[in-house]
Amino acid sequence: MIWYALGSILLPVLGSPLVLFLPERHVKKASQIFSFLAFTSGLLLLIAFAFNRASFTRELVTLNGINYYGVTIDTLSVLVNFMVVFLGWLICTYSAGYMSPDNKEHPIKEGVPRFYALMLLFIGSMAGVVFSSTLLGLLFFFEMTGLCSWGLIGFYGDQKSRNSALWAIILTHTAALGLYVATAYLYVNTGSFSVTALNKLTDAGKTIAFTGILIACWGKSAQLPFHPWLPRAMVAPTPVSAYLHAASMVKVGVYIFARTVLATGSVPQVIGQAGAIMAVVTMIYGFIMYFPQDDMKRLLAYSTITQLSYIFLAISISIYGSRMAFNGAVAHIFNHAFAKGLFFLVAGTLSYTTGTRLLSRLKGILNKIPVVGLGYIAAAMAIAGVPPFNGFFSKFMIIISGFEIGRHYPLILALIIVTVIESVGSFIWFLKWMGANVLGAPSEVVASAAEPPLAIKFVLAVLMIMTLISQYIVLFLLS
Amino acid sequence: MIEVGENILFYLPAVPLGTALLAFGIRSRRMVEVVHFAGISSVALLSLLLVQYVLRGQTLLALDGMLYADGLTALLVLIIGVVGFLDGFYSIGYLRHDLAQGQVDAKGACFYYGFYHLLLLTMVLAAISNNIAIMWVAIEATTLGSAFLVGFYKHKTAAEAVWKYVLICSVGLAFALYGTILTYSSAFAVVQDAHRAMLWTELVGMARGLDPQVMKLAFVFILIGYGAKVGLVPMHTWLPDTYSEAPSPVSALLSGVLMKCVLFGILRYYPITLQAVGKEFPQTLLLIFGLLSVGVAAFFILVQNDIKRKLAYSSVEHVGIIATGLGAGGPLGILAALFHVINHSLTKSLLFCTVGNVARKYGTRDAQKIRGMLKVAPFTGFMFMAGLLAVVGAPPFSIFVSEFMTLAAGLQGGYFWPMILFLVLLVIVFVAFIILISDTVLGFPPEDLPRGDAGWLCLLPLGILFLLMAGLGIHVPAPLNQLLQGAVSVVLGGK
Repeated sequence: MIWYALGSILLPVLGSPLVLFLPERHVKKASQIFSFLAFTSGLLLLIAFAFNRASFTRELVTLNGINYYGVTIDTLSVLVNFMVVFLGWLICTYSAGYMSPDNKEHPIKEGVPRFYALMLLFIGSMAGVVFSSTLLGLLFFFEMTGLCSWGLIGFYGDQKSRNSALWAIILTHTAALGLYVATAYLYVNTGSFSVTALNKLTDAGKTIAFTGILIACWGKSAQLPFHPWLPRAMVAPTPVSAYLHAASMVKVGVYIFARTVLATGSVPQVIGQAGAIMAVVTMIYGFIMYFPQDDMKRLLAYSTITQLSYIFLAISISIYGSRMAFNGAVAHIFNHAFAKGLFFLVAGTLSYTTGTRLLSRLKGILNKIPVVGLGYIAAAMAIAGVPPFNGFFSKFMIIISGFEIGRHYPLILALIIVTVIESVGSFIWFLKWMGANVLGAPSEVVASAAEPPLAIKFVLAVLMIMTLISQYIVLFLLS
Repeated sequence: MIEVGENILFYLPAVPLGTALLAFGIRSRRMVEVVHFAGISSVALLSLLLVQYVLRGQTLLALDGMLYADGLTALLVLIIGVVGFLDGFYSIGYLRHDLAQGQVDAKGACFYYGFYHLLLLTMVLAAISNNIAIMWVAIEATTLGSAFLVGFYKHKTAAEAVWKYVLICSVGLAFALYGTILTYSSAFAVVQDAHRAMLWTELVGMARGLDPQVMKLAFVFILIGYGAKVGLVPMHTWLPDTYSEAPSPVSALLSGVLMKCVLFGILRYYPITLQAVGKEFPQTLLLIFGLLSVGVAAFFILVQNDIKRKLAYSSVEHVGIIATGLGAGGPLGILAALFHVINHSLTKSLLFCTVGNVARKYGTRDAQKIRGMLKVAPFTGFMFMAGLLAVVGAPPFSIFVSEFMTLAAGLQGGYFWPMILFLVLLVIVFVAFIILISDTVLGFPPEDLPRGDAGWLCLLPLGILFLLMAGLGIHVPAPLNQLLQGAVSVVLGGK
């Protein structure tokens, strides 16, 4: 099993420099092959783990008796890694169609090898985060994903994209200082980098370490006050947004928080309080920011911010002793990735075929390009949390466990009520746009839309299926 | 393996001396290049040989105890050998361009290579001398040797830079001389033997018996004196001028190697002071100078427009980081500092050499005018980006590891808030260099600029430096690890 995990990390990392040196016509093929191999590793790991359910940690890099990097295989890492490599492969496939001169919004003529090299490195670094058994490993790959995201967000190279990319790297790196301090503090006080060593700290020590971790996680997951980078990052090519800003980069934050909370038996409640309050504050902020958005991608960015708040809230509630809240968080990390990934790719397909992604100009998508229309419906329903789509199941788990814990902690009860209101509000808002954009007779831009390439249609179809079934994969593994 | 024993301590200075004399005597470009290449290769091989002896647990003594090599020496000689080789290698391609342009004639090139090897000679002497007075002389001599290289182009600005360089460093070194004399006198009071009171090995042995008050004073003088030459704030003012006016491979050698030689001068006094006056005093002093250097440099990096000046200030910053590591103290802090010395040598050499290519391509060093490097000269652009990422401590490059160790050492030493300040300052540097990459490397180049990279002679050394720098970030080979551990115990206990 260890080899499947290493395959998910190393195959894309090896592929990354390779595509830089390949002749340009082979680049798309090669990157699809490498991302597919990584996906295969992830899938095999998922299957193997589903059968024997053996969680373990293997130390890999040790020097002078100190373990610097190791791999942890458990439900959390296996699930999230599967999501990372699966979406990685889908996005590479989608990009084969999207990153072409036929793209109406942004015809792509050069830089394709650079794009795939960064993308593959990103997939590998993500898998590196997911499997890391040490804080140092988490920090290392945290920074690696930051660097790749910088290159990817600024891909088009104009002043605006480069500035947006600067926002992303500077804000996330600044937040990462928390993780630097937490890691160094852990090492100094326990002599180990292992995530489980957090247990050996005193309560005051845990508070210091977790404060650092939480700050870093807020930065990466675009929570207040580090959020401004995410809406700006929407200048990135849409496959990048779909991968980084739905499935992977923003999930690094919540993942690290989940991983450290899971490894630590008892986390001080003050961390739970801080996490929950900031989550709901961010949630309200993100929700308010829905209303002025006309650019579909920016709307999705704010939606991502609020959905990540759900996950932060759930993990924070789990600190109060709710196993179900933690499972809800894991499920939401998993489900949201597919739903939001689909949503971004729908937005991308719309800009590819129509040349615009302004919500007010899109009408009658279902009529003209049915596959995109159906994708829109599935994604919107999943994000809003409507059964039978996947978002419903994880949101339900989070809210139920919130009410349970809320019986003893009025603060949590109040926060969870706000969450329910937000959930209803965003349902109405997405329903409104869905009605306006998907149904009815095609507007002018939609009527002139070109047919999306096969690769794009294939990926949309796979993701639509995933929004209907991903929750069962999670529930099966969590059982 | 050839067994040369302690004779290696004679070969090490003899080879650069011979090469220098030869180079001064030759008048043909081709010949001098061959001689130069043979010279730098031999020094590199000898340095590896010395490392091998030291790793076997030997400390070498020669010439009645005047020449000496232990773990710390071996580490420094390794840097002189390897980085000196790579910078020297890059010099060949760099000078050929000047020769082709007619800016330099064959005689000038011979002159350059001659002084290059003289500088190597003085650096090697500083590294292997066991006599603190000879060490001082050697370090002073490096100033003179390098001054000719800095002023190589004989521009007016270069002349001014050289003047400032020689003046400030010599004044600084006068302080170091006081420190040396104070140490000697306090040792003489103990042993009553002029020869022994000069030898570092003896000084370390008797450090506990030295007068603490005198040694405090001596350490302050040493730190200010040698500190001026490594560029610790506030004695750093000569450094940006000198580094930016020197030919790029010389800047690389100054920042990558020479700076480290002088730093090791301070390191030699560290165990003596540690034992004579306790750890509180030297550590606090180093920590203050360290953080001050990082802080001042951080803001200057942000506001400079000349990329070479930015890099020069970055050298000040990194000396500050090394001093912070030493100030944090303990085995971890010393290890962090020594590892950082290696990493900074590789990274800064890479950057200065890369800037050589960049400045030639664009005809300017102004960060506002250089655009789209990755599209104009992909290899150079990539190296510049990688070097800058490394210099700000981004993984997977090795400075990430040593900066992290410095942080951990500081926390271990109980300096929580100073370390938070340290991190915040590093973020400022991070922002400055990330913006520099965003502006110069990415984006679109000027329309009229022809595309194409420098010749392979100017690219291959960069590639090697890059591989070393990235490799050390992921894996520290066992021999290097052993060498570092040996050097740490030298700095902590003199053994």
